Amino acid sequence: MLGLMLLAAFLLPPVVLPILTIAILAAAWSAGLLRPLVRAMRIPALLLVSILVVNSLFFPAAKDILASFGPFAIMREGLTFGLISAGRVLVAFLASVTFLFTTLADDLLETLISRGASHRIAFVVLSAVQLVPRMRSRAGSILEAQQARGLSLEGSFVRRIRSLVPLIGPVLLGALVDARERTFALEARGFGARPGRTAYRIVADPPIDRWLRLLILVAAVLIVLVALGILAR
Amino acid sequence: MTVDATVRPDGSPLLVEDLTVRYPGRREPSIAAVGVTVAAGERVGVAGRTGAGKSTLALAAAGFIPRVVKAKVGGRVIVEGQDAATAAAGALLGKVGIVFATPANQLSASKLTVREELAFGLENLGVPRDEMDARIDETLARLSIGHLADREPFELSGGEQQRVAIASIVAMGTTVLVLDEPTAQLDPAGTVSVADLLDDLARAGSAILCAEHDPSVLGRMDRCVVLDQGRTIAFDVPGGALAKAQAAGGSPAPTLVRLAHAAGLRPSLAFDEASIAAALETTARVATPTPPKAAAGQTLPPPSSGWTPSHERAPVRVEFENLIHRYPSGIEAVRGVSLIIEPGEAVAILGQNGSGKTTLVKHLDGLLRPASGHVLLDGRPTDERSIAELAAVVGFVFQNPDEQLFERSVEREVSFGPRNLKVPPADIAARVTDSLEAVGLTGQRMTNPYDLDLTQRKLVALAGILAMDPAVLVLDEPTTGQDPDGVLRVGAVVEAMRASGRSVIAITHDMEFAAVRFGRIVVMRDGMVVADGPPEAVFAPANHDLLASTGLTPPPAARIAARMGLDIVALDADRLLAAIGR
Repeated sequence: MLGLMLLAAFLLPPVVLPILTIAILAAAWSAGLLRPLVRAMRIPALLLVSILVVNSLFFPAAKDILASFGPFAIMREGLTFGLISAGRVLVAFLASVTFLFTTLADDLLETLISRGASHRIAFVVLSAVQLVPRMRSRAGSILEAQQARGLSLEGSFVRRIRSLVPLIGPVLLGALVDARERTFALEARGFGARPGRTAYRIVADPPIDRWLRLLILVAAVLIVLVALGILAR
Repeated sequence: MTVDATVRPDGSPLLVEDLTVRYPGRREPSIAAVGVTVAAGERVGVAGRTGAGKSTLALAAAGFIPRVVKAKVGGRVIVEGQDAATAAAGALLGKVGIVFATPANQLSASKLTVREELAFGLENLGVPRDEMDARIDETLARLSIGHLADREPFELSGGEQQRVAIASIVAMGTTVLVLDEPTAQLDPAGTVSVADLLDDLARAGSAILCAEHDPSVLGRMDRCVVLDQGRTIAFDVPGGALAKAQAAGGSPAPTLVRLAHAAGLRPSLAFDEASIAAALETTARVATPTPPKAAAGQTLPPPSSGWTPSHERAPVRVEFENLIHRYPSGIEAVRGVSLIIEPGEAVAILGQNGSGKTTLVKHLDGLLRPASGHVLLDGRPTDERSIAELAAVVGFVFQNPDEQLFERSVEREVSFGPRNLKVPPADIAARVTDSLEAVGLTGQRMTNPYDLDLTQRKLVALAGILAMDPAVLVLDEPTTGQDPDGVLRVGAVVEAMRASGRSVIAITHDMEFAAVRFGRIVVMRDGMVVADGPPEAVFAPANHDLLASTGLTPPPAARIAARMGLDIVALDADRLLAAIGR
C-alpha cells in the first residue's frame, strides 16, 4: 500500500496529489490515527515550507511574475513546481508514517521470517528497536552522574567536544558489559542452538488481505503503465 | 550425546564433582576441587565473598564452562546424567538454565508481551505451535505470575522481570535452575517474591543452585556451600555453613545466625526467628555465664581503614522546605517534604521503589528542580545555583557505577571530579590517595576500572566522589551487590564523614546497614515522610505495622527483640546480646 502511494505520488499527474492526501488522512481517521498523524506533521513542516518558498522565488527560467516585493518576485512556474514537489513529499511522508503507525514491527518481521528471512537478523532489528528507550534512559542517567561530578557542558566549542568523552565512554563500555550478560541469557534460552525453530505469534492473513494485495499489485502495474504513456493514449 | 548411568548413583539432577576451573591468562584457578550435589526439589545456596568463585561455579553448573566461556576444566559437571563438558551445543537445553543479576538483561528484548517472552525459548527449541500455549499457561500458573501474561516485559519492575526470566527458563522444561545473585538489584519486596518463587519451584521438583549474598535468601535454602578463594570452606544447612565460614576466615555470619549460635540453637534453626527468640528468652532468664568469645564470632571486625577526610571545610546545613516535585508526566513523586539535616548527621532514607527517595535527593545537586518549595544549602536556595556549582558542595554517588566510569585507570577515574572542580594538581594527588585508601583500593591505582568486578567498581565510583571532598555525601543504594566486607567498608566511610562534620544521606534497602550506621532514619511512602527519628525509635515495635505498610521489615535483631517483648530496640546482634546480659 505504501509502495502504491509512492508510485502514484511520483508518477501520476499532480492533480492526484490532493486526492491521495485526502485518502490517506481519511484512512488514518478511520483507524483513529488522525491526531498523531497531524502531530507528526511537525517534522516535515519546515521542509515543505522551504521547498515552496525556495521554488517560488528562485525557480530558474521562470517568466510569469505573480507578485513582487522589492528584489523578490514570486514566479508562477516556481510556485507550481514548489506545490507539486511539496505535495509529493507530503504524500510520501503521510503514507510512510501511517504505515509505521499501523504495522507492528513484530508482525512484519514474523511474516518476513515465515517467508524465509533470517530470524537472527529479525532478532537484531527487533531488539535494537526495543533497546532504544533503554539506551536513552541510560544516557540520561550518565549525563546526571557526570554533571554531579562537576562535568560542565558549557564553554567553548573545544571544551564541549571534550566533555563528550565522559558521556559517550560509559554508554559504550556499559553496553559491552550488558552485552555479555545478554548473550548468556540468550544462550540459556537456546537462541540459535537448534535448527527447526518454530513461531508462536501467528500473523493473521484473512482472505480480504490477500485480495487487497492483488488489487494493489494490479493498480501499481496500471500506474506504471500510465506513467510510461502506454495506456494514456 | 554421552549418557552414562553410572555417574548418577543418587539420581541427583545436578552433580558437580571435584571441579577446578582456571581461566586463560590466570595463574590461579578460580575454583578448585569444588563438589556439590543438588537433588530434585532441593535448593542449594552458594555464598562467599566477591571474587570467591560463586559466578564461576554457577556458569560451570549451567554448562556454560567450557562451551561458552573458555577455561581449563578439571573434574566434572553432570546435568541429568549428561557430562556438560562433552555435551553438544543445545543438548543441555531444556535441562538446565541460568538467570543472572540484571533483570532487564535477562529478557530477549524482542517480545512485546510476557506470554511471547515465555514462548521465545520454546520457539528456539522447535516446540510445535499448538503445544506452546498449554506449556506457557502451565508455567505462568505454577509460578503464580499469570497476572503478568499480557504485560510488556520492559514495563515490569525488577522483581517481576526476574520472575519472568525464571519462568522463561522453566517453561523450556528445565529441571535444573542455576541463579547468579538473582536478587542483587531488587528491592526487599522483589527479593521476597523471587525467594517465594524458588520455594514453589523446589516443591515442584526442580533442583536449584543459587549464588547469593542476601542472608534472607540464603536462609531459605536447604543447604549452603561457602566458597573462599575458590575453595569450599563450608557445606551444611545455611545456618551451620555460614557460622563455620566465619570461623574459617570467611565473611562475618548474618545476625540471625550469630544470635542462634549465641542461644545454643542447632544450625538448622538458625533462620527460624520464633525459635531464636524463644531460646534467647530462656537463656536470658537463666543467665548462665558463657565464654566471652565463641567460635562464631562475637564482634564485627573493626572498620577497614582509619581514613578521615583530609580537608577542612565548612559544615553545610541541608534544608528541604515543603518540597514538591512533579514529573512532566504529571506524576507527583515528592509531595510536600520538609526536613532539616544538620552537619555531622548521617540520615538513611528508606522506602519502596517509587516512594520518592531518589527524586528527593536529586534536588540536592540541582539534577531536579522543585515544582514548589525550596531546597536550601546553608540557607541559600539551590534554585539559583548551577549543577556544576552544587557539585562542589554535594557529592552524589549513583547506584550503578557503570553509568559514570570511563577512564583507563582507577587513578584517572578518581581524579576526574577534583579536576572538574579545578583543584590544584598537588592536592588532587593527595585526595586520590586518601580516597582510594578509604575504600581499600590502594593497590588498584593503575587498573582499568572495567577489569574490576561490579562491587569494586562501585567502590571506585565512591572514591571518585570522596576525592571531591563534599560537605554533603549522597549515596544511592551503596550496599547493593556488596558482600559483608564491602558493606563494612562503606559503613566505615559513612562514619568517617560524619565524624569530620560532614553530613551523609543514603538511600538504602538494607535495613541493618541503615540501623547500624545511621543516627537518623527517614521513611518515605508515596512521596511523603511517614517516619523520622533515631533507628531505635523508627524500628520500635509500635512502628512495625507502619513499616510493613511501606513494604519494609525492621532489621533482624529488632525483629527478634520484638518477639521477645524486650523494652529495648536492638539494632544488631551485639546490642541485643548485651541487652540480655550475654
